[in-house]
Amino acid sequence: MGLDHATAKKEVYKRMTTETMLLLRILVFPGVLFLFALAFFFEWVDRKFFARVQNRYGPLHTGQQGILQPLADFLKLLSKEDVTPYAADKIILFFVPISYLALPLTTLFIVPIASQMSLIAFEGDLIFIVFTFTLTIITVFFAGWSSTSRFSTMGSIRATLQMLSYEIPMGLSMIGPAMAASSLSVSRIVKWQSLHSWIVFIQPLGFAVFTVCLLAELQFVPFDIPEAETEIVAGWQTEFSGRKLALLRIGKDLELVLASALITSLYLGGCQRFWLIPPIVTFLVKTIMAVMLLSLLRAVFARFRIDQMLSGMWRYLLPLATIQIILIQLGLGR
Amino acid sequence: MNPCPIKIPFGPQHPALKEPENFLFEIEGERIVDVKPRIGYNHRGIEKAFECKTYIQNIYLAERICGICSDAHTTCYTQAIEELLGLEVPPRAKYIRVIIAELERIQSHALWIGLVAHEIGFDTLFMYVWRDRETVLDIFERISGNRIHYAMNTIGGVRRDISSAMVLEIKKSLNHMEERVKYYLDVVKSERTILKRAVDIGILEPKDAVNLGAVGPTLRASGVNHDVRVDDPYAAYDEIPFNVITHEDCDVLSRILVRCEEMHESIEIIHYALGYMPDGIIKTEIPMNFPEGETVSRVEAPRGELIHYLKSNGTRKPERYKVRSPTLGNIPALCRMLLGGFVADIPIVLAGIDPCFSCMDRMAFIDIKTDEKWVWTMQQLRRKFTNE
Repeated sequence: MGLDHATAKKEVYKRMTTETMLLLRILVFPGVLFLFALAFFFEWVDRKFFARVQNRYGPLHTGQQGILQPLADFLKLLSKEDVTPYAADKIILFFVPISYLALPLTTLFIVPIASQMSLIAFEGDLIFIVFTFTLTIITVFFAGWSSTSRFSTMGSIRATLQMLSYEIPMGLSMIGPAMAASSLSVSRIVKWQSLHSWIVFIQPLGFAVFTVCLLAELQFVPFDIPEAETEIVAGWQTEFSGRKLALLRIGKDLELVLASALITSLYLGGCQRFWLIPPIVTFLVKTIMAVMLLSLLRAVFARFRIDQMLSGMWRYLLPLATIQIILIQLGLGR
Repeated sequence: MNPCPIKIPFGPQHPALKEPENFLFEIEGERIVDVKPRIGYNHRGIEKAFECKTYIQNIYLAERICGICSDAHTTCYTQAIEELLGLEVPPRAKYIRVIIAELERIQSHALWIGLVAHEIGFDTLFMYVWRDRETVLDIFERISGNRIHYAMNTIGGVRRDISSAMVLEIKKSLNHMEERVKYYLDVVKSERTILKRAVDIGILEPKDAVNLGAVGPTLRASGVNHDVRVDDPYAAYDEIPFNVITHEDCDVLSRILVRCEEMHESIEIIHYALGYMPDGIIKTEIPMNFPEGETVSRVEAPRGELIHYLKSNGTRKPERYKVRSPTLGNIPALCRMLLGGFVADIPIVLAGIDPCFSCMDRMAFIDIKTDEKWVWTMQQLRRKFTNE
């Protein structure tokens, strides 16, 4: 009887520890807290690298080499006045920043970060990622539309138009790795790459298309058309201020984390273990490289006009993505 | 398609405008069908201020008409006064005026190229050009002690000399600048995203350019060979050989190329002027009494032809002073360029004339129906606008 009681107790303890561990994994590492820290860090990497490319210093004074600047900006915005336009649709305006923050955060749970198994993994989670990308743009559309400002409306229309052009090439370039690994799960694609080779070596065309599409998704130059500063102020973000803007900004940073994590996981082998180096380190190194690639690309171009972007995407990127799929079907690149 | 075009106001507060000015666009789809400019948002009453100050004080006022082409305005002002007084400027002062004017042209064009790059979202080029513009500003600081308002001109000559030690430094800096200008020409000609935004945008036919009174690089980018430095030489320009840069394509790209190549030409002019600068005094004495009379003075400012008109009544203050800044000459041409263009191209076309609205803004009260004109006093203005 006493023995049974002890095993039962042990069982409860064991279950409690696994549950606590799961909670810790979701909330702390590699979950919410870690991702937020990573978001701030990546914003710093992006700003600093972008500034160095432009022969500027970038953030310099808050923390070592200005590393705390994104956090300081975030806290400052939290304390600022939150102005809501009189004519705006207040309910949508309130929910947009939350949704914009939650979408990339949720999606990041699917990407394997600390080990080859992500927090949430199921067959078909790649489709879910494509879906959340679309939802993000719909959120952006609501953001601009609900604030009823002329600039915001222009920005949201441009964002939606832009999505219509890059969504299909992006979907196709995400299918490439899935075809190679014969799985629609990001975790499986990462596992496949650790057994075979990095997909960037066998599908370089897909990698290029995916990177360009991510630039458009992140609204980086040359595709920062929805927030073109000299044309429509801050585009769809124009009417957001204070806490709402702070959430939008961290949401944007998380999107950068997501973009670099996806480049890493789908094309650069994801989090792999090399000898004694833990997977998280290889993951971080690769994602930082991906962020730098994105910042470099945004530094060396001028902005396209919306019609040029639409025709360019349909005329060049879509055929390229299709050619990559055909090549995979022919047996090259798997 | 659309019988009733949409009206979009552009400005007076707009991120693409560095100074407040209003343009009312009529849009059909994405195309512009009509433009109505409305100037006067940045009126500073500077011509009236001229009438309230003495000729010497006005040198400093003329300097402050424009922050970027401050030397062009003082050159124009002092020339007008010198013509009134019948003064002959010493040859060395003439050469120094040329050197300062051309240095100013380089820094003004560099500033403009940066702004245009920013308008089309190419911030890296913007940062690069503005970094290299510092080279020229450093030369100014070395010569005059100031980076922007150099205060070099005075009636009858210039205020500071350029020593032989400075000449060596200037030449060294200019060699660096020349390399950079070549690099920028290369970037502008080869970078596909710039070409996409600049080729065949904001077309201004040569015929329209002349008829609408365009001036400066805007006119020369439409293939019209017109430059006050050649047509009506002032300072030492009649002694210095140089080419007038023109381009035939009439679009934004040719405006960029004209300015890039003018920077290169300016560097050549400065090298020549530094080499052939005669020795001697830099300033003559001014007679104490100012005679009655009228004079007009013309200068090729970085933005185009600048005209100053002076009417003197024999006192120590001008009776009337009029400044026609180049931007005013370019406004009708700008409206022509914008017609038929895309809405997304408005900022780049607008920036293409290198507008400087605060230099340009003048106003007058006219009743259109009765064609009656009048002047309001300060008290009347105050009563009208402050409900006193």
